[in-house]
Amino acid sequence: MLRILGLALAFCGAWQAQAQSPVPAQAPADAMSLLRRIYEATENLSYSGTFVYHQGERTETSRIDRIAGPGGNVERLEILDGMPREIVRTRDTVRCYLPESQTVKVERRIDARAFPGMLPEHISELARNYSISRGERLRIAGYDCDAVVLTPKDDLRYGYKLWADVNSGMLLKARTFNRKGEVVEQFTFAQLTIGKVPRERVRTKHAAQNWRVEDAAVAPANLARAGWSIGAELPGFRKVTEVTRRLGEARPVGQMVYSDGMVAVSVFIEPLTGRSEAVRPGLSSLGAFHIYTREVANHVVTVVGEAPAASVQRLANQVEYRRPQ
Amino acid sequence: MKAKISALMDGELDGREAAGALEALRAEGEVRESWRTYHLISDAMRDTHPLSAGFSARVATRLAGEPTVLAPKWGFNSRPLLEQRRWQVLSAAASVAAIGFVSLSFFSQEPSVPAQPLAAGAAAPQAESAQVAPPAAANDYLLAHQAYSPRISLQGVAPYVRTVSSERRGSRQ
Repeated sequence: MLRILGLALAFCGAWQAQAQSPVPAQAPADAMSLLRRIYEATENLSYSGTFVYHQGERTETSRIDRIAGPGGNVERLEILDGMPREIVRTRDTVRCYLPESQTVKVERRIDARAFPGMLPEHISELARNYSISRGERLRIAGYDCDAVVLTPKDDLRYGYKLWADVNSGMLLKARTFNRKGEVVEQFTFAQLTIGKVPRERVRTKHAAQNWRVEDAAVAPANLARAGWSIGAELPGFRKVTEVTRRLGEARPVGQMVYSDGMVAVSVFIEPLTGRSEAVRPGLSSLGAFHIYTREVANHVVTVVGEAPAASVQRLANQVEYRRPQ
Repeated sequence: MKAKISALMDGELDGREAAGALEALRAEGEVRESWRTYHLISDAMRDTHPLSAGFSARVATRLAGEPTVLAPKWGFNSRPLLEQRRWQVLSAAASVAAIGFVSLSFFSQEPSVPAQPLAAGAAAPQAESAQVAPPAAANDYLLAHQAYSPRISLQGVAPYVRTVSSERRGSRQ
């Protein structure tokens, strides 16, 4: 296993070196069209499968079922290793079931912006921040897959390699790597069946009537009116949404989300008063995620992003408060 | 006393009891050792990387060797500072409410900031920052963030595997 990992890393390293040679401003059309096919497959396919998530020493297996259809898409994710948990996502709601604490965390979409996702017409914008190229063909879980590689053009984002079924465009494997070519995290399907999925497969397994419900109570917001702003935004990122919400059991927070089309970074702003736990300023890492916490004007600013530490920290340091006029 | 230390960590002691437990923690010894051990266990359960043995002792030694940094003090007669300490109802809160947004208790308190805010781009320098354990609410942040990630339109619900993977067992019971 270690040898395979070593080979993979060596390959990434070699590929990185190659990627540093001058790249064309326009990504090759076939790489872009593969990327577009992946997005379309994600939107249009019904499937059932089992995938493995690797991150550092962590390996977790999950079951995933998805029904796409005119009645709206429904997906269910059940994590099979470690603490039991289940996530059911519909067109406008995400519910996270935590049976051990008998809690359901609910996030409802407030408008079309709320789950902005990625629109196919925006895919070409990815070429501004990433060099996009094709990778070698690979067989995964019985499917022949084509690969597309996104190499970041700066240090503010990770690189990605995606493998998708030649026939359907279904994403079979996704790898995130850093500037050194080291794998940060990876999703791989071990088994996948594309096609009709029975309706009961996407229903929660839990009779959760008596569980505690933590509703995020998401609402549109204008944090700038309250005096909050970002001095200089991250290059290549733009604001996709701005809301107020509850975090966990009760705390109201403001949230601004920035995205470069591939990843997102969230800025959370919450009052210092009434916090039960102490603020720990600094940076923490959770796989591909970095979390940076600092205090600004009697508030805690927490920036969470699936991006390198430098991005998360840089955005956090740009958060400012000015007294509204 | 060990049970008290555990309860203190969980925030279950009232003011007087907590003061007693903290007093016991002042002295080096078994109680302080329990405190460290419990934190190590807690970190391990949360899948964060514990610090190596003797880390705090090494930091203390290094700190003792560092030159003292003389930070500028805020003057007593700095009127803006006094003003900013006065908590006022923020007119912005009214305007936020007026345009129909959900009222937010925290935006109704005026944060205390220097009267002249830093110019854009002049924020804190990007020093190498301290690595800290993830916030206790890390999973709530991740869950809140995940819904807006473009990864959703690439992988559907799968990225949510990263969201709640390390919530402490039984911590919310």
